[in-house]
Parts: sequence; structure tokens; C-alpha cells
Amino acid sequence: MLETLTSQVVSGLATGCIYAMVALGFVLIFKATDVVNFAQGEFIMASGFMSYTLLIWYGLPYWLVLVLTIPLSGIMGVVLERIVVRPILDAPIFSIVIATIGASTVMRSSTGIVYGYDVLPLPTFFSKDPIHLGILSFTRMDVGVIGSSLLIMAVLYVFFQYTKTGTAMRATAQSQIAARLMGVSVHRIFSVTWAISAGISGIAGVLIAPIIYLDPNLGIIGVKAFAGAVLGGFGNIPGAIVGGMLLGVLENLSGYFFNAGIKQISTYILLILVLIVKPSGLFGAAAIRKV
Amino acid sequence: MRRKPIWTTMFTVVLAVCLCSLALPLWAEDGVTDTEVVIGAGLDLTGAVANWGVNIKAGMEAMFNRVNEAGGVHGRKIKLVAYDHVYQPPKAVANAKRLVERDKVFIMMGHLGTPTTKAIKDYLEEKQIPNVFPATNASLWTISGKWHIGDLATFADQTRLIVDYLVNERKFTKIASFYQDDEYGLDGHVAGRVRLKELGKEYVAEVDYKRADIDFSSQAAKLKESGAEAVILQAVYREPARLAEQCHAIGYNPLFIGVSAIVLDKTIELGGKHVEGVVGVQVYPNPDEPGPFLDQYRADMKKYFPNLALDTTNLYGYQKAALFVEVLQRTGRNLTHDSLLQTITTIRDWDPGWGLKYTYGGDDRRGMCRSARLVTVKDGKWTKLSDWFELAEMRRQ
Repeated sequence: MLETLTSQVVSGLATGCIYAMVALGFVLIFKATDVVNFAQGEFIMASGFMSYTLLIWYGLPYWLVLVLTIPLSGIMGVVLERIVVRPILDAPIFSIVIATIGASTVMRSSTGIVYGYDVLPLPTFFSKDPIHLGILSFTRMDVGVIGSSLLIMAVLYVFFQYTKTGTAMRATAQSQIAARLMGVSVHRIFSVTWAISAGISGIAGVLIAPIIYLDPNLGIIGVKAFAGAVLGGFGNIPGAIVGGMLLGVLENLSGYFFNAGIKQISTYILLILVLIVKPSGLFGAAAIRKV
Repeated sequence: MRRKPIWTTMFTVVLAVCLCSLALPLWAEDGVTDTEVVIGAGLDLTGAVANWGVNIKAGMEAMFNRVNEAGGVHGRKIKLVAYDHVYQPPKAVANAKRLVERDKVFIMMGHLGTPTTKAIKDYLEEKQIPNVFPATNASLWTISGKWHIGDLATFADQTRLIVDYLVNERKFTKIASFYQDDEYGLDGHVAGRVRLKELGKEYVAEVDYKRADIDFSSQAAKLKESGAEAVILQAVYREPARLAEQCHAIGYNPLFIGVSAIVLDKTIELGGKHVEGVVGVQVYPNPDEPGPFLDQYRADMKKYFPNLALDTTNLYGYQKAALFVEVLQRTGRNLTHDSLLQTITTIRDWDPGWGLKYTYGGDDRRGMCRSARLVTVKDGKWTKLSDWFELAEMRRQ
């Protein structure tokens, strides 16, 4: 029983890490540019297909695929920002949200046209064979996903705290006008933010596609991640990470103790409960509107 | 001038109407003209079971293209109008209305999915549109009366076979069920429960999942705790692979055995080594087996869909189309809903050329092709485990 429970928690954490990375992508863009990017889930899907193309069509080794997919995903983020978001940056926020939803549909459909809507298997870097360690039972895959996610989060932390661009990004997030007055190129920061956000989703895509298989509807995972981001307090980076992980574990445990129906709604029940008690999310500060 | 009495005018009008109706062709049903018969299908072309939808459509079209090129059936070419319902019941209903009311299809043919076809059942009955050979082997179509006709052994009958095999041949005592929580999964799941009860047993675990779920770690944990020696899969192709993988990840290796919906090459492609040893019920031969019907199928697929691999899913659509063409042939020029449905009931021991026979008849339109055999995944290929036999009929639920 205890072993089963721990294995449920560990595999829930692995799924949660994926949610967390996507949630992080949402939050980074929102903090820096005030835009909620509903094509975030499609970044994962597109990155999965990029790695599939490099791996299967071009036969590149897995490590090279991983190395190439991250910058390619980043470029995809910059392109989307330049083409879809920047031209309408002064438009009402709803227009931008709708534009990103439109972009997600275009990405999903064009992937379907090129690759078909079939489910495709993708080989994985990590083995799915079980490892038993005392009462802990997990797979290399779980460890790989959790480890990679934590590593990425650590790298991001260092980047934000100790690099010039990272500091500029934090400054832009706090006040675009002040940042501009201090000589920060806000437009460049926007591009960098979208690149990083898409790049993180790229890693999430490469990690998750072999687990749940690849198909053009993979981006639906973005909805869960969005819920994770709101749970943690939208706009809060540690909140997004904790929120995403919490959802992964909650889903697994509710599926284990109840049934598939409860598992499906558990995410949203928790979300509603948290928002009733603390409307700004678990880690969110009380909302202060910019005037 | 004296005016004609009103009754004379009325008589003339009535006579004219009667004469006109006599002059109309007898096949004055929607979707049937002198030169064409239009049939409709709702398929999943972009959703969770798109592999089925795309291939079933191709299989049906391969057959129809060849028949049309040879001049059609009794001078009528067959036109298939298919829409994407993404395996979602609400979209299936919208598509059915579009097909019936705008495209004026003669019948619904090869409609994919149990939940999606059940969603349009009442509408088709209301509009009196036959639902012919839907791409779902649910036993629902054997008890739903005149307008619905299946073509292959039902999931309920297949599950009965599975339970008998596990209990009588493998001597298993602990059997669990993993099922999709909708009309599709429940068909075999409930039939299995009934059959187990008849044998003095019950499921040691009943574990459900939702359509398009992607993670089954909690289901795997529950199955492991139940200690089941065999898990019956009422699933499609994505789930067996993922479930087996997640069960193996926690050191649990039961026998996985499923209905015909899992016997797909895709199951093996996705599951790899994790689905080795998985057993399934097959209700028609593999695409690479010998026989004149399969030779024709391979030639047609190569000609019309050269980029599509030969697969059990497109063969599934192809055999439906072959059966439909046979029915059209037998019905003759006088093609109406009634004549079509009547013809189907007259089919006895019809073999398209692969050794298995279709038989219809009886008030409940039971019958169809009741052949089945057990297959297992061996060295990455579905391999024969038993010979073909006729399935016993499971009591309808």
C-alpha cells in the first residue's frame, strides 16, 4: 500500500513537473508582457513534432535532437510574438488573447495537415523500466523528467538573478516605463521572454511526447498547466511551479482513491476551492490594478 | 359561359397528382437518383481515434472507387460524404443533421464510434434513416430494431469468449476489467460481469478511464493491488500500450486481453515490447493473409491509396463497403430503405472470399458475421492463437 502510494506520488510529480514547466511559460510571458498566451500548449505539441522530425525523418541522435529542439522552439516563440502579438500590442487585451487562441488553432491544424492526426510513438532518452528503492518505486523516466525540470528551473533562477538580461526582464515585468527610462530595450526583452517561454515548452514537449505519445491534439495539456498557473497565483513563478506539481500529484491520488471521473474534475475542484479561500492563488499577491 | 362545378376542378387536380406520382421513379428516396446513391458517414478524422476514422474512410473509398470505375451498381455510382466528428457525440449529432437534411444522404454507413453513433441513434430513427454497418461492434445495434444493422461479432460476444478462455483454458481465478467509461467500454465490461457470474465468479477489480485520457498510473496501481492475473481491456489502441507500460513500471505483469478494437498494428507500434504477449479477439483476418478477397483489397488500396499502409483499420472499412456493394447488387434497381433493409435480412452464408461468412435474418436482425479467433502479439506482430470459430451469442444487456 505504502509503496503504491509513493509510486503514485512520484509519477504524479513527474507529470506535475511537465505542467509546471508549461505553467512557467504562461507566467513568464504574462509577467513581462501582460499577455496570456493560449498557444502555450501548442508550443509543446510543435516541439514534440520538431523532435520527431529530427529524430525519425533526419535520423539525428537523441542528444542532438534535444540540443536542437530547444533553440528551434525559442525561434518559434519569437516568430509568433513578432507576427501575431507585436502588431496588436496596443489593442485591447481580449484581442491579443483571441489572436493567441487563433494562433493555437493554426498551429494544431497545420501540424495535422503535415503529419496527419495519427498518434505517433517517440523514442525516449530515459528507460521506462522500474527501480525499487526501499518503499519508493519509480521509473528512470520519472527521475529523468523530475531531474530535468528541476535543472531547468535552477538555470532559470540563476539567469533571472545574476545575468544582465535576466535583471532587465525582471525590471520590465515590474514597470515597462521605468525599464525603458533605464535604457532597457523593452521590445528586445519581449522577444527574449517569448523565446525562453517557448524554449521551456520545447523541453517539456521533448520530455512528455514519448510518455503520452505524439499527436496534434497534445497541446490540450496547456489547459491543465494554465489551471496549475492560476492555482499557484498567476504571475508568480514559484507559484506556477508548485501549482503544476500539486495538480500532477492530486490527479494521480484522486484517480487512485476514486475513479476516472473524479480524477478528471479533481483539478478544477481544487482550483475553485483555492480561489474561494484565496482569490489570488496560493502564492499570488493581492491584486493591485495598474492605473 | 357557364362555370365548371368546383368538384370537377378538384377531381382533375387529384387525377393529375395521381398520374404524376405514378410517373415518378419508384426509388424516390433522398440520396438515390438514376445514376447515383449518396451515403453519409460521421468519422473521427482529427481526434483521439483519428487512426480509425482516416483508415475506415480510405478502405470504404477504395472499394467504392473500383466499383464506380466499373460503372457502379445497377448503373448507380456510390458517393460517400463523410464529416469529422472528432469522436465527440455533440459533433456527431450536428454532422448527422447536416448529412440527412442538407446532403440528403440515403443511409448512414460506417458511422464510427459507439458513443458517437449512440448519440445519433434517436435522430436517425426519427428521420427513418437506416444506420448500416456502423464502425462499432457494440451489441446495442443488435437490439435497437429495424433501423440499425451491424456487421461483425459484438464486443459483448467477444468478451464472453475472453472470459471463457481465461476461466476454462487458462484456469485464471482473478480477472479484472479496464474499460472506457462510456457506451463502448460498458458493452463488453457488463457482458463480462454477467458471464463471470454465470461461472460463479466476479471481477476482482473494475477500473475505468475516460476517452482521451493519457495517464493510467492510478489505474495500474489499482489493478496491481487487486492481484488480477488477467486484465480484460475494453479500450482502443492508445490505452493498452500506455497501461501495459505503466503496469510494468510498477512491477506488475498480468495477461492483458482485449476485444477487437485493440487488435491494431497501431497498438504494437505504440506499445513496443510492453505489448508483447497481449491477447486480442480478431473478427476478420489480417491484411496480409491469403485469399481472393484480400488480394482484391490489397490491389485496390495500392491503386487508390498508395501512401497508406495496409492495416486492419482500412480493411475494416473495406469489408463494410464490400458488404454494402453486395447488398446493393442484390437489391436491384428498386432501391428504397425498405428494399435495402429487406435484402440484408436475406443474406445467408455470404463469403466475400476470405473464408468467413455473413448471415442475417430473424426479427432482431441478429446474425452478421459471428466468426472470431484469438490472436497474440508475438515478435511485434499479431499472431494466430486459435482457429476461427463461431461465437456463442451473449444475452443482451
